Amino acid sequence: MKRRRIGAMLLTAALATGMLAGCGDNGSSGTGADEAANTAQPAESTDAAGTAEAESGDAQSDTAIEPCEITFWHAMSEQQEVTLTELTDQFNSENEYGIKVTLVNQGYYNDLSTKLTANAAADTLPDMAQAYNSWLIPYLDKVVHLDDFVANDYDNYDDIIESYRDECSQFGFIAAMPFNKSTYVYFYNKTLFDELGLSAPETWEDIKTVGEAFKTEKGMVSLGFDDMAGMLEASLRQNGGDYVTEEGAQFDNETGLETVSFIMDLYSNGYARLVGEDGYFSGPFSNQMIAAYIGSSTGVSYIDTSSGWELGVAPLPGNKEKAANQAGTNLVMFSQDENRQKAVWEYMKFLTSEEATVKWAMETGYLPVRTSAYESDTYQEFMKNDATATAAYAQADSFFSSPAFDGSYDIQSAVNAKLEELILNDADPETALSELVEAVNAETK
Amino acid sequence: MEKKSLKGYLYLLPALIIILVFTIYPLIKAVLMSFYEGYSIINGSFDAIGLGNYKELFSDKVFRKALTNTSIYVVFVVPCSILLSLLIAVLLNSKIRCKGMFQTLFFLPYVTSVIAIGIVWSWIFNSNYGLLNYVLSWFGIEAVPWLNSPDYALMALIIFSIWKSMAFDILIFLAGLQTISPDLYNAARVDATPKWRVFLKITVPGISPMIAYAFIMGMINAFKVYNEVFSLFKSSAGPANSAITVVYYIYDKFYNSADYGVASAAAVVLFVIILALTMIQRAVSDKKTA
Repeated sequence: MKRRRIGAMLLTAALATGMLAGCGDNGSSGTGADEAANTAQPAESTDAAGTAEAESGDAQSDTAIEPCEITFWHAMSEQQEVTLTELTDQFNSENEYGIKVTLVNQGYYNDLSTKLTANAAADTLPDMAQAYNSWLIPYLDKVVHLDDFVANDYDNYDDIIESYRDECSQFGFIAAMPFNKSTYVYFYNKTLFDELGLSAPETWEDIKTVGEAFKTEKGMVSLGFDDMAGMLEASLRQNGGDYVTEEGAQFDNETGLETVSFIMDLYSNGYARLVGEDGYFSGPFSNQMIAAYIGSSTGVSYIDTSSGWELGVAPLPGNKEKAANQAGTNLVMFSQDENRQKAVWEYMKFLTSEEATVKWAMETGYLPVRTSAYESDTYQEFMKNDATATAAYAQADSFFSSPAFDGSYDIQSAVNAKLEELILNDADPETALSELVEAVNAETK
Repeated sequence: MEKKSLKGYLYLLPALIIILVFTIYPLIKAVLMSFYEGYSIINGSFDAIGLGNYKELFSDKVFRKALTNTSIYVVFVVPCSILLSLLIAVLLNSKIRCKGMFQTLFFLPYVTSVIAIGIVWSWIFNSNYGLLNYVLSWFGIEAVPWLNSPDYALMALIIFSIWKSMAFDILIFLAGLQTISPDLYNAARVDATPKWRVFLKITVPGISPMIAYAFIMGMINAFKVYNEVFSLFKSSAGPANSAITVVYYIYDKFYNSADYGVASAAAVVLFVIILALTMIQRAVSDKKTA
């Protein structure tokens, strides 16, 4: 009896250790095991778009994909998630290979980023995920290069908006396909603007005029930026300057000083204010506490005009040049298994197809990723009644993306904190410029 | 005899394995990682072994700020919370009406999610619509930008945390008060001892083990403050990073900056600080009881 009990305990202990050992044993999973289960699927399809044979010898039967399940980690919620699910269901039922995509909602972007990092370390990344370039830097060698897929099996890559293509190939290879893209736009309270006889500003001078008008006639602040570092970068570019590179700050010059003084003056004159406890400007903007703000085009769903005012949306004002931040994540492939890679690619092709990107854009407020999608009758019709989409499209040729490199996150958060501090202390432009440059260079070294 | 102790170890084994894997191993790993320069958790590669991460850590203004903030936080939150809790616990232990209701009320913060409470407090602190500024306005005090100004952000965090950590302290003090024999109080009453003397000479010594416990636990928890910052300042570290704490710094360095070495070095520094202070406290309280 006693012996048996000890035996049972030993067994439990052994099981426990076995389980733990199982957790630690990574790296060997993946290839081979999965497709062994379903080898019988014949290469029945001729996949019209199918195209030229892949580069290397290993992919002779290129068009055949065996049925499989692929996992897609995303951070879409509410309407975005509903539309994504609809699109995915459509793909699951319509694709001829028996590919089944499983959507896994990982919460907010931060959560998704954290989980991807942790899973990259444990070698348990999903087949694909949404991601920003900057997230990928620590595990860039686990990102599947899409160049061959694009070259051999994509209908019209040049149809993808140029700045998105640039962003996705920023690391020297195609690391992603653009998906939920947005841009920063100028939201304004049209009712109040009309009352003062103002229109949306097109230049920096106009911003000052609007600022002065609201200050003197309404006692109101008329500008805010949801993203301070993004605002600095956009302003520098609008002024014909440059922001940062891996070497450090690129704005320690006359253009930089001009830009920083423009920004600091907005705050010291009471034209603009920090977001502070509100988190995002959509709240105070909805309550008519601020007359206009610059933020992501997707923020429009958080703007509430029910207290009886009309919303206006305009492209970002420019100075010497036009420049508008592009935001939103891309689709990244991690699967190391050849068959699953092909399956993921089918799904990526589907999500970036004209039809899917138009549906996606119209229902979620994100932007289409293709020129042809913008030009389609459906989307043109939609834009007529959608001020945000119209404003976003009007600046599509001045999109830029922030470069991602080791340390770019630190620069962004250092600049955010520094700008806040400088504005709160009402620093003079020279001090502000030198401290901002110092903050950036401390991170790049 | 031997057999018996073997059996004892077997009983301990499941717990031991979990502690080894989830506590001891990460601890050792974190110490090792703090000496790896340019470490990548993805493939385990590093450039060199040395003190580079520590050098970088101590030359980082943000870390020094985090360390200062955390120290100020601990110095205010732990004693204030204990004093207030002691007061409330004694009141709750006396014969008052609706005792059960008050006990529940004071214990609520402990069982409610920090994130939820943080959101409520961020409204209490709101500079335009906040309850706190409204109350202050009765006394002619102008609206304080609690969450918008670097001068007040840490103070707001401390006020919020004192209120939050009081719940646990009140509970253990109440439990402690039940163990003090009523005879002592009766004897004091016969002697007509003043109330404050009763409090200092009977109540406080009676629950001194609980106070010591609350002090150590409170301090350890206060050094690890993170959730409170995250929820009060809407997933930031306050205006211009003014309320950043050490754990916030560690998390940010690890997950957002991918500076694994520096994050580990910061974790080790925090560990050493907490360990040292805990040992000092234990030495002091051992001396007292001995």
